[in-house]
Amino acid sequence: MRSKFLFCAVCLLFWPLWSWGQSIVNTEHNLSVSGPGSTKATTESEVCIFCHTPHNSSPQAPLWNRKDPGQTYTLYSSSTIQAVPGQPDGSSILCLSCHDGTVALGDVLSRASVIEFNNGVTTMPAGPAHIGTNLSDDHPVSFVYDNSLAAADGELADPANLNAEVRLENGKVQCTSCHDAHKDIYGDFLVASAQYSTLCGYCHQKTDWSSSAHNTSPATWNGSGSDPWFHTDFNSVAENACENCHNPHTAEGAERLTNYLVEESNCLNCHNGNVASGNIESALSKPYTHDVYSYDQIHDDAESKQVQTMHVECVDCHNPHKANSTAASAPNAGGPVLGARGIDTNGNPVENVQYEYELCYRCHAGSAGSPGSAITRQIEQNNTRLEFDLNNPSYHPVEGVGRNANVPSLITPYTENSVIYCTDCHASNDATDPAGPHGSIYPYILKFNYETADYTKESYQNYELCYQCHDRNAIINDTSTKFGKDVHRKHIVGEDAPCSTCHDPHGISSSQGTSQNNTHLINFNTSVVSSVQMGRLEFVDEGDFAGKCYLRCHGRVHKPKSYK
Amino acid sequence: MRKLYILTFAMTFFAATTVLGQISGSAHDFSNENWNSSGEICIVCHTPHNADVTVTDAPLWNHEVTTATFTLYSSATLDAAVGQPDGSSKLCLSCHDGTVAVDNFGGRTNGNEFVSGDELIGTDLSDDHPVSFVYDATLASTDGGLYDPTTTNSGLGGTIDDDLLIGNKVQCASCHDVHNGSGVADLLRKSNAQSAFCLTCHNK
Repeated sequence: MRSKFLFCAVCLLFWPLWSWGQSIVNTEHNLSVSGPGSTKATTESEVCIFCHTPHNSSPQAPLWNRKDPGQTYTLYSSSTIQAVPGQPDGSSILCLSCHDGTVALGDVLSRASVIEFNNGVTTMPAGPAHIGTNLSDDHPVSFVYDNSLAAADGELADPANLNAEVRLENGKVQCTSCHDAHKDIYGDFLVASAQYSTLCGYCHQKTDWSSSAHNTSPATWNGSGSDPWFHTDFNSVAENACENCHNPHTAEGAERLTNYLVEESNCLNCHNGNVASGNIESALSKPYTHDVYSYDQIHDDAESKQVQTMHVECVDCHNPHKANSTAASAPNAGGPVLGARGIDTNGNPVENVQYEYELCYRCHAGSAGSPGSAITRQIEQNNTRLEFDLNNPSYHPVEGVGRNANVPSLITPYTENSVIYCTDCHASNDATDPAGPHGSIYPYILKFNYETADYTKESYQNYELCYQCHDRNAIINDTSTKFGKDVHRKHIVGEDAPCSTCHDPHGISSSQGTSQNNTHLINFNTSVVSSVQMGRLEFVDEGDFAGKCYLRCHGRVHKPKSYK
Repeated sequence: MRKLYILTFAMTFFAATTVLGQISGSAHDFSNENWNSSGEICIVCHTPHNADVTVTDAPLWNHEVTTATFTLYSSATLDAAVGQPDGSSKLCLSCHDGTVAVDNFGGRTNGNEFVSGDELIGTDLSDDHPVSFVYDATLASTDGGLYDPTTTNSGLGGTIDDDLLIGNKVQCASCHDVHNGSGVADLLRKSNAQSAFCLTCHNK
């Protein structure tokens, strides 16, 4: 009997819930005394009354029962937005008549006095539902979403073919485009699931997003450090999708609604070994880095493709909407830099780099402040694009196959027809680090040691960088030619002269060097080598393994000294 | 024990519908008004003979009928086709629109008692729940947030269509019982505690 008595009591208690099923009654929007949330009225039993009235509504539709808050809102703005959000109107201003926190929740038109709430609550309590009057850190609303907006943006769905769940109101995006105040099936009153950013994807159709790692990676958080997904309940990169980086409301990085204001924090919260397998954060802690920590709020997504104001952020090199782990071979841009911006070999801006070096040229092709070499050279050139140009008398083969068809020192698989990446020399010194020039213990973010000081004792370790491709034995022990004996061996081993004394590894611009004097990357280090009489300081190419030099070095004078 | 079980269910389902009321003493009882010299209750609206038949299905009508053109409710999300008030709604508005005097009945046209305050709906119906529209299974299906009136229980014994609609239409009388049959405040047909009346039709 006791159990049936209890059953009856339960019937009485929950009858309204059963009879209405999935209904507003079961949601936090039931502000009546029967509501399931903590914010609710002390005695008022009507549910609809907090928003609706059958008579004397204002505004008329949807029979609204609340005052216009009468606020002026701070609107979302961004350097890359094409939409024009206005002051909240339509349904959005109705939502804000509670959620901006300025009007008491119980202050309805149809009641002479304000409906009393539990715990002395009047206006919207602090928390995620308190949007406030500053909408600059919230997804914009009250803007027209039409064909011309979709065309101008280029990555928005055709508004005529939106998923039926996403409703525009008089052609505008409003709070109700994403939220249904009456139904809370997916959490946060969303009209579709946020898992895998399904809802976001109904409007935002980012090019190449489907194959991006941020959309597909099943990686999970190892539990160390701060929670990278602090505003969702999802447990993998793929499930969090857009929300790996973006926060639709109260985003700390208001412009572009990023989780964090500090640019790199959005990336390094996962790329620190706690989610992504590669630890970029540790690479960036090395002495020589692309130092993303040094710059704050300088990067702008709308900036020119040739960077003008010196800075570097992760997103200068990586496009988080497109990047993936697809491998490529030089000079083609691989997955990690897919969709990055750059400058092509002719100096023209490129929206999506085809070749990896184009990405480097964003900054290293004449941008103010880009670092030069510490070595003073006979020919100075700080524009890397000009150093690697295929018309140059010599260059390392980055943009294309090199000039020299006879390079016997090359180690398999390298041949005279090989092309290499900038990142074959400039990258982390640790092979277990993620690829790319994030950080190294060696200056210029070089992958291996590369001594440039005069009187350096030759060793594999001292010229480890060069010896990756150029066989050490072939360089210093080939005595079969005069060149091998009297040039390389004599200078490197006999005179302790580093490679950089004679060779400028990037290349010599065709506008400065000549095919007679600057083949074989010859561009003397003038702190070691100086001119002889009449100011003559030159190398003269006289064919394969033949040439002569006019110079003064280590107290010796060549005027000229030949080899053949 | 079994009786307790049944009784509890009975209480649950009929508690809201068993309270009865009557027009006598209600807001629509004008028998004591000084402008109603007859002292009758029904006469303000009804007459047994020579009734006004200009409004279709008007129940032996004895009151001047409004000729106003009304501003209708509209909304971007409204699927119902709302027309000018017709049927019994037009009769209600013959007092509540404020254009016809309450004491213009029985052929009188020069009355000067007009509704005011909360009872005055006016001719602008744009801030009022719409009336005089067909509410059928098709509308319910189109809207998605309405119950099918032909199969959904009204809580008054039959379906919504049976108990609350007049000729398939929502009218003032769908929510209000002019004769105060249920004795609920605002002459509602049934209690709106927990918004139960709203949620009879609205599937929110």
